[in-house]
This record gives sequence, structure tokens and C-alpha cells, in this order.
Amino acid sequence: MTTTAPPDPRESRVLSRVLGSPSVRLIGKRVLMAVPIILGVSILTFWVLSLIPGNAAQQVLGPDATAAQVRALEQELGLDQPAVTRYLDWLGGAVQGDLGNSLISGQPVSGELGSRLAVTGELVGLAFVISIGLAVPVALLAAYKPNRLVDRISMVVSITGLSVANYVLALLLVLVFAVQMTVFPAIGFVPLSEGVGANLHSLALPAAAIAFPLFCFYTRFLRGDLVDQMQGEDYIVTARAKGIGPWRVLLRHAFRNSSFGLITVVGLNLGTLIGSTVIIEQIFALPGIGQLLLQAINTRDFIVVQACVVVFAIIAVLANLVADLLYAVLDPRIRYGSR
Amino acid sequence: MSVEETGYPPFPAGETLLARTPDRARPDQGGAAEPLLEVTDLRVQFRRGGRRVNAVNGLSYRLPAGRMLAIIGESGSGKSVSVRALMGLLPETATITGSARFDGSELVGLPEPEMRGRRGADIAMVFQDPTRSLNPTMKIGLQITEAVRAHADMDRNAARDRAIELLQLVKLPVPERRLVEYPHQLSGGMRQRVMIAIALAAEPRLLIADEATTALDVTTQAQIMELLLELQERLGMAVLMISHDLGLAATYAEDVIVMYAGRAVEYAPAGTLFEHVRMPYTQALLGAIPRLDREPHAPMPSTPGQAPDLTALPAGCPFAPRCTSADEQCADEPPFAEHEPGHWWACWHPVRDGA
Ligand SMILES: Nc1ncnc2c1ncn2[C@@H]1O[C@H](COP(=O)(O)OP(=O)(O)OP(=O)(O)O)[C@@H](O)[C@H]1O
Ligand code: SF4
Ligand SMILES: [Mg+2]
Repeated sequence: MTTTAPPDPRESRVLSRVLGSPSVRLIGKRVLMAVPIILGVSILTFWVLSLIPGNAAQQVLGPDATAAQVRALEQELGLDQPAVTRYLDWLGGAVQGDLGNSLISGQPVSGELGSRLAVTGELVGLAFVISIGLAVPVALLAAYKPNRLVDRISMVVSITGLSVANYVLALLLVLVFAVQMTVFPAIGFVPLSEGVGANLHSLALPAAAIAFPLFCFYTRFLRGDLVDQMQGEDYIVTARAKGIGPWRVLLRHAFRNSSFGLITVVGLNLGTLIGSTVIIEQIFALPGIGQLLLQAINTRDFIVVQACVVVFAIIAVLANLVADLLYAVLDPRIRYGSR
Repeated sequence: MSVEETGYPPFPAGETLLARTPDRARPDQGGAAEPLLEVTDLRVQFRRGGRRVNAVNGLSYRLPAGRMLAIIGESGSGKSVSVRALMGLLPETATITGSARFDGSELVGLPEPEMRGRRGADIAMVFQDPTRSLNPTMKIGLQITEAVRAHADMDRNAARDRAIELLQLVKLPVPERRLVEYPHQLSGGMRQRVMIAIALAAEPRLLIADEATTALDVTTQAQIMELLLELQERLGMAVLMISHDLGLAATYAEDVIVMYAGRAVEYAPAGTLFEHVRMPYTQALLGAIPRLDREPHAPMPSTPGQAPDLTALPAGCPFAPRCTSADEQCADEPPFAEHEPGHWWACWHPVRDGA
């Protein structure tokens, strides 16, 4: 006979409080939501790829290959199977962590992804730090005296920056800093293992090209939100009525509240940030995931394309989750579950 | 109302508009002594679009130290703008002229750094909506100690002790716990007590309560007013209360100013004003001569007619378009003068007693 001990009520209460806490519920909900998102993205990619004329077998064999040769390789690679079968095949491997082998090189995709993820990750991280690190002080200075010099200059700069596509900006940067002034390399990547300085030097222009439009966007957003708070919120009047200094009112009160909006905007924007690496890596010949993705599309290597797209999707979902969690942790109204 | 708030003396039931006023009225101190606040011909004009909004148009009054003065008037009559002007809390689009002397020194035109030194220390303000007036993302404790430390060289611990003292002063139970709470964890009445604690942080000599009880339920409203009254007497503070609520003004204030279109149109001790209304506008506000059976906290009755257009005020009496006693003489502006001892008004055809 087996007797099961009655559950300790204290323990279950702790458990239910942890499981019922807003942050944990949020993570749970997001993870559950991520599954259909990633599934949907992979199906869509597969479908679009199947619409593009040409396949990997033709790419490998080149234009001189006979129809029979192509058909033989297609059979070998499984490309003669219907799209649904191929997708389910891929999915079966993917859920077990096997993203398959490249159709072109035959090498496992995961090996290649790792080193490229590091390059893209560094590029994104750098662009992120630069854009936020500059946007916050500039927005604060602009909002301190709205419509004065600093504000106007930052307004002109950011509107210009927002209207220039980042590949145009990239080419301009190359022209000025690599071709004319030759202070930064136009292309190429020096890994971190060869020194931080050299590494950052090689990433300076591409990171700047990604960071600048983001900087403009964040500056505009934060400046606008700060001014709205300063001019429209009653608690700002309370703070001023205490007789505290204007910087303190701006930083302690307005910025504290604006930062929640900024976190949300940054989270929503991370998708764009990641997406912009595709073209920038291409321009600067950086061996990142974006470059791999473009190459794979050209060679119809759908296994590699799938892997890249899924990685991007996972990163975007994770980034949004982190932004939401940060928001939940920082904002007491959410932390205490009142809203 | 929260559980914590029971236990305060409730507003005495059945007390009527006039029953309390006589014993609140004290002998007039405004005559000989230098008043704490003397506002003379105060004007505030806003630039909005290409237009100019004349929000305050020659407002004058005096407030002796330690007294409670009420400003009443319908929405848009310039009550909030006129008091925010005193503290330099208006946006840059405002142009302030005239004079406002606090304890003998001029506030109008004071440079911002000096004005900042006086905010909270000389004059403090409690606002209408305690939910929006407290920073939602900052602990109560920090919001109070910040006010304490703005004007006193105090370390964290001393400021914290002072914050607890202030919360005790406004009768908030368990002050130590409140310090680490956020505004949304408190009830409306408790939040307003926190706002009052913040206002008292630097021991101001004038406390302005701009519709401080309007957002609260009737019972809480009475508790907050009783608290303000008690603090006024205990700390010897002058209180300037702004209200929509005639009953509240009559019950608690010693003197009452009635504002219309940005100026004072009637001014008298509370008892006198409600017993001997002179200005047709005040009478319209009251709905009729104040009656003993009127609810003490009835909201301000809406007066018939359009509120005046502040971008294009007519010459003469601003109330003329809505006034039933208006005639040709009212095309000239009636002077605001002391027509009876202690009773000022601006009208050519004042209402007679019993009319
Ligand atoms: N920043 C501003 N710019 C332009 N006009 C303003 C501004 N602030 C207030 N006003 C105008 O000034 C007038 C007086 O406003 P005020 O807030 O003093 O009224 P009030 O008597 O306090 O009314 P309420 O009882 O509704 O609080 C209103 O017509 C308002 O529209
Ligand atoms: S002055 Fe004339 S219009 Fe103005 S309130 Fe008196 S009677 Fe009415
Ligand atoms: Mg107001």
C-alpha cells in the first residue's frame, strides 16, 4: 500500500504565488506564443522559397549540367519530394535540435551558425549600445529646454537621419571614413580574438550605420515623451512645487517615467535592428548571419535559410520578452499587479 | 474609503451652511497689520496659437497670516492660474503682470532660481487629483524626503525621520510602512494626506489647496478639510483654499473671494458673504440666497448663460451678458470697492438683502 503525504499547504501556497506572479505568467504566456510564431515564420519561409525558381541542385552543378545530372542530385538531396514532406522532414529534425546539413557544402548548419551568431550579435549589441547611449543624453538635453538650440539641432539631425535609408548611410560612411579619410576599413571583420581594439575598429562603420537611424528614432521618441511629461503631468508640477532643481525634476521624475515607454519602443524596434544587419553585413562583408542568409537564398540552400530565419525569429521573440520583463520588473504598478 | 481612514471624526451630520460660519469668523485682522500675501492687479495672459487668453484680469486681495481664505468661482474663472502664478508654476507661454507681495517681498518677476528657493519653503500647494499629482513610479518615502531635503541640509536618515513625523502630522497610520509603498497602494484620501505631508515638508507659511478635496468622496472630503483646519491652527499657517463647493468654503474659510472672468467680483468674511450677497453673479452661483436647508456639500450649481470668452472680453462688467439686472450703466466697468465695512464687490446694482 502506498500512502501519499498530503501536500504541504505552505509549500503549495508559495508555489502558487510564484507561478501566479505577473512576471512568471508573462514568461509562460510568451513562451507559448513564441511556438506558433516561430512555426509560422518557418512555414512562410519554406513556402516563399518553394516559389522561387531554381533549386540547390542546379546551383551546385552550374548552368552546364544536364537535366539528368540535376535530377540525380535532386534525388540525393531529397529535393524531388513534395514541399510538405520536405518541410515536415526538416521540422522533425529541428524540434530535436538538428537543423540539418547545408545542401551546398553538406556541413551541419549549427556549426556555421555559432560563429556567425557571434559576429551578428556583436554588431547588434554595439549598435544598440551606441544608439541608446547617445539618444538618452541628447534627448535629456533637448527636453531640458524645448525649442532651444540643442533641441532644434537634434530635431534637424534626427529627422534627416530618419529619412535616410541605412544602406545609403552605410555607403556614405564608407565614402567619407574609409575612402577619403581612410580611418576605418571599408570591409572586413577582425575577430575579438585578435584584439578588442582591432575588432571594434573593424565594426565601427557598420555599427554606426545601424545605430544612427535608431539613435535618431530613440532621441525623437524620448525627447517627445519627456516634454509631454514635463508639460502635461500633474506630478511634475508637484515636483516643481517642492522647490527641487529643474535637472532633478527632469531626471528623477520625467525620465524615470519616460524610460518605461522607451523600453517598450526599444523592444518593439529590435526586430528592425536585427533585420538591418542583413544588408549591412552584405555591404561591409561581415561574416554574420545576415550575410549567410543572403548567400543561402542565392544558392537556394533552403536548409541554411530556414536556420537563419528561425534564429532571427527566436532572437526577436526573446528580445521582446526581455523588454517586457524589464518593464514588469521596473514599473511598480505592474510589479504589484495593479494594472 | 479604506479601513484605515475610519476613526477620524466624521463631518458633523446635519450641520448647515450657516451654522458654522459665525464662530469661524474672527475679528478682521487684515486692516492694520501687514498681510502675509497681498495681491494687487494681478494679470495673467497666455499666448495660444495666435491668440491671447486673458486668464486673470486685475485680481486683488489680501490674506493675513494664519487665516483661511477661499476662492470660489465657476470653471475657467482663473482660480488655478492665479495661484500658480504666485509660485511661478505657469508654462512659458504665460505673461504675468501686476504685483503679488509675500511677506513684503515681490513674487511677480522673481528670477527662477530665487522662486525655486521659495517654492515649498514659503508657499506650498496641494492639488486636486492626488492620483495624478504623486509620481506613480516613486516610493512615498522618497517623494516626501525629496521635499524635505530641497530646503534643509539633512542626511537620509534625518530626512526619513522627518518624513515619518510629517506622516504622523497628517494622521496617516503606520507611517513607517507607507514610506516604502507606492501611491497606487494607497486610497485616495491617504494619497491626499501624503500630498499634504509633502506640502508641509519645509514648513510653509502659506498653504494653497487647489480643489484639494474635489476628487474625494464626501466623508473623506470632510476629513481632509478638518485636517487642513487643524494644521492651519496648529502651525499658524495661512491657507488659501480654492473650491467649486460653496458649502465647503462657507464651512471652513474665514474669508471668501468670488472670481469671475479672472477678477474678484465679491469679497467678504464668509458669514457676511452668504448672508448678504451683493453681486448678482454670486447669487447666481448660490442658486438663490443661501438657505439653511441646503446641502452643505452640494456642488456648485451651474449658472445660466455662456462663460465669458477670455480671448475677447467685453468692455464694462464681464457678467453683463448673463446678468438679469444689467442696464446701460453696466457698459462701464464697475469698480471693485469696499462698499460696506469688510465687504467688497464690483457691481452697479447690488442685490439687496432679502431680494
Ligand atoms: N497653459 C494655458 N494656456 C492657455 N490657456 C490656459 C492655460 N492654462 C489655463 N488656461 C485658461 O485660463 C483660464 C483659467 O483657467 P483656470 O485653470 O485658472 O480655471 P479654474 O478657475 O481653476 O477652473 P477649474 O474650476 O475648472 O479648475 C481657462 O479659460 C483656461 O482655458
Ligand atoms: S454691474 Fe451690472 S451687469 Fe455687472 S453684475 Fe452688476 S448689475 Fe449685473
Ligand atoms: Mg482649477
